[in-house]
Amino acid sequence: MKVFQSKKAFLITFSMLISIFLVGCSNSEAGSSSSEETAESANSITLSWPRDIGPMNPHVYNPSQLITQSMIYEPLVSYGEGGELQPHLAESWTISEDGLEYTFKLRENVKFSDGTAFNAEIVKKNFDAVMKNASSHSWLGVINVLEKTEAVDDLTFKMILKEPYYPALQDLAVVRPVRFLGESGFPEDGDTSKGITAPVGTGPWVLEDYKKDEYATFTRNPEYWGESPKLEKVTIKIIPDAETRVLAFEKGELDLIYGEGAISMDSFNYLKETGEYQTDLSEPVGTRTLLLNSTNEKLADLNVRVALQHGFDKAAMVEGITLGLEEKADNILSTNFPYTDIEVKPVDYNVEKAAALLEEAGWKLPSGKTVREKDGQPLELEIMYDKTDPIQKAMSETLQAEWSAIGVKLNIKGEELTTQIERRKAGKFDVDFWYNYGAPYDPHSFINVVAKKGWGVSEAHTNLPMKAELDQQVQEALASTDETKRQQLYSSILTTLQEQSVFVPISYIKKTVVYQKDVKEFIFPANRDEQPFNEIEKSQ
Amino acid sequence: MVSYLTKRLLAVIPIVLFAIFLMFMLIRLSPVDPAEAYLAAANIHPTEELLTEKRQEFGLDQSLIVQYFQTVKKIVQLDFGNSFVTNTPVWQEVAARMPATIQLAVSSMLLAIIVSVPLGFLSAVYKNSLIDHFSRLLSYLGASIPQFWLGYILIFFFAVKLDLFPVEGRGTWQHFVLPSVTLSLALIAIYTRLLRASVLEELEEVYVLYARTRGMKEKAIMVKHVLRIAIAPMLTGLGMNLGKLLTGTIIVEQVFSWPGFGRFFIEAIFNRDIPVIQSYVVLAACLFIVCNLIVDIVQMYLNPRISWKGRTEY
Repeated sequence: MKVFQSKKAFLITFSMLISIFLVGCSNSEAGSSSSEETAESANSITLSWPRDIGPMNPHVYNPSQLITQSMIYEPLVSYGEGGELQPHLAESWTISEDGLEYTFKLRENVKFSDGTAFNAEIVKKNFDAVMKNASSHSWLGVINVLEKTEAVDDLTFKMILKEPYYPALQDLAVVRPVRFLGESGFPEDGDTSKGITAPVGTGPWVLEDYKKDEYATFTRNPEYWGESPKLEKVTIKIIPDAETRVLAFEKGELDLIYGEGAISMDSFNYLKETGEYQTDLSEPVGTRTLLLNSTNEKLADLNVRVALQHGFDKAAMVEGITLGLEEKADNILSTNFPYTDIEVKPVDYNVEKAAALLEEAGWKLPSGKTVREKDGQPLELEIMYDKTDPIQKAMSETLQAEWSAIGVKLNIKGEELTTQIERRKAGKFDVDFWYNYGAPYDPHSFINVVAKKGWGVSEAHTNLPMKAELDQQVQEALASTDETKRQQLYSSILTTLQEQSVFVPISYIKKTVVYQKDVKEFIFPANRDEQPFNEIEKSQ
Repeated sequence: MVSYLTKRLLAVIPIVLFAIFLMFMLIRLSPVDPAEAYLAAANIHPTEELLTEKRQEFGLDQSLIVQYFQTVKKIVQLDFGNSFVTNTPVWQEVAARMPATIQLAVSSMLLAIIVSVPLGFLSAVYKNSLIDHFSRLLSYLGASIPQFWLGYILIFFFAVKLDLFPVEGRGTWQHFVLPSVTLSLALIAIYTRLLRASVLEELEEVYVLYARTRGMKEKAIMVKHVLRIAIAPMLTGLGMNLGKLLTGTIIVEQVFSWPGFGRFFIEAIFNRDIPVIQSYVVLAACLFIVCNLIVDIVQMYLNPRISWKGRTEY
């Protein structure tokens, strides 16, 4: 049977079909339009971010993103390299001898992007709005000890604490919730926890154009008090998928991919090896750590904990799994934080020593068995890891293999992140992954969770013989007004923790950046959460 | 027809209630406490007092039965609560993202129809010809390639290497091409084969022979009779798939950074944003029911042998 009388009719239909299928392929407008977009303003950059930037409320958390909040809002004091605190919106400050009164001299001639003046009154108004919802911010130490605030005169702001708390200034350097919204951004009732009317800040950038889930464009703030950014425009495209980010970057739709885990380690190395782009790694921003739960009977023994540390080849594991993007860690806190530069004797990979320590602890290997036993109990532990984290998974598997060689059976259990956190808080784990907070939160936030219950870390240390003394030292360090004493306390706390081996440092986490050749040097911010893009330049 | 429609619409109620019940039980069975999920999503450290306060606010301190009826009551009033993450009404969030998803689903569906109807029809008519082999290859690929992988491959060749389309985003018609092709390939695979099979089946029917003996033109027999009837099973598939497309664009939206409902849902899962997950399940159930109903009506219009009364008359 024939539907089409001639071959010609058939061919016409067939070619129409093909052309429909390949619809649009002949049109190259789309491609050129995106190239034009990049070339449109030589003095602008486009980067990607995995999530929408959110409503940019400076006093609440999700869904606003730290990176963009730091472009618009500024702190009184900022966190510089090595933890040095620098004047920002406060030109100078004095702290009373008892450590209770902080008086800030505000910078003159600072204006919000709407042209209104930045003064002590608006600083107080912001603090009041934050304190109205103090319970939401209880994680931040300064909020818990804040008694009241005062606008002494136009440019003098005072903060009075209930008790001395030395990291108060570090806490003021964080991105949220203690940065400043201009008057016109406040809702009528002044309660910013329910929303703001507009993101009005003193920072170098203003939000020019925004389409939820798609992009946000920032331009220079004409009222900015400091040196204006070198770029005219920063566009942030929302690309949730890491592989798509890499493809968009390769095509030239992005100038920059930046962040922690923004692209896979494979992709980073691939882009680096092409030689067509510039790549860089930051200083350590945090430590990937194993948390050994000392309330577990088996792990209550120091010898067992140290044996486990001797029992795996840390360097090989880190190199193999992170492809050189993380660095083997010997210290619990990397030494680029204040007070953390302590001498640590690295725990080497030594299977014999590990076995000897386990023997000493009474865990013997019965003949014909592969798992050590004591009083008929096998040396069996469980490690839990975040299911969605491929690095944690690979590391758990490596540990399982390595520890089996010293007669320890390790079961691995993937958990959803929320369950992992819940189990950690309830102390229902043997071995878990843990990370410190980074700058500007550490080292004070770190010692705080070592002493304060509710995060699972203090709980994991419960069985240490010197726990009470450790907690006491933490309290003293946080309240101390004497720099030398504080350093001594930190050294003592960190040394004890290192020796006790409840924390097993694995590797230092670093941020990665990949950028096109026409972007001049990229400088990583000292504050983990910030990136105001002030210093980036593009070659014309 | 009116009574039939009323009956069908009334049947929707128990189905939706059952869907709500399933969703309600699944959420209660999961180990995550909604109050904890809320605080975690808002980045607030969950103290016991805050947790108690939130549990009361969400009505979690009441019995399961009361909680269930309250959930139903709220859903009936189209009140899905506020998203834990954004603190805005879920309904608003969904409504803002739905158009993008609908556009993508409809464009993929249209592309699938445009390609598979002629392709399936021609490969039946010209059985074992070049076009039949081509359609077989296309179906094979469409059925076996995972969508996310196809997405990356298309981006790599057509966006990065050939520079014909943008990699991601939404705005111009060019942005539609790659995600629509990605989504529609699997549909093309199914429909082409489905249509080919039913055309071949119809060609064996007596009415075709009768029409030929009456001297009707071959083209008229094919288009007016065979195709019209053969297309019915494909329509059923289309209707089912429209629901699937509207709720299943998740992976493609993620790969192409398409700002739709699917992507929003993925984020909701990661954030344990329970009100959003809840609304997604209810909405998906309703979408499937409505799509099925539409298909049935269209079927009856196309094939008069199916009557409104639900039995076949000859």
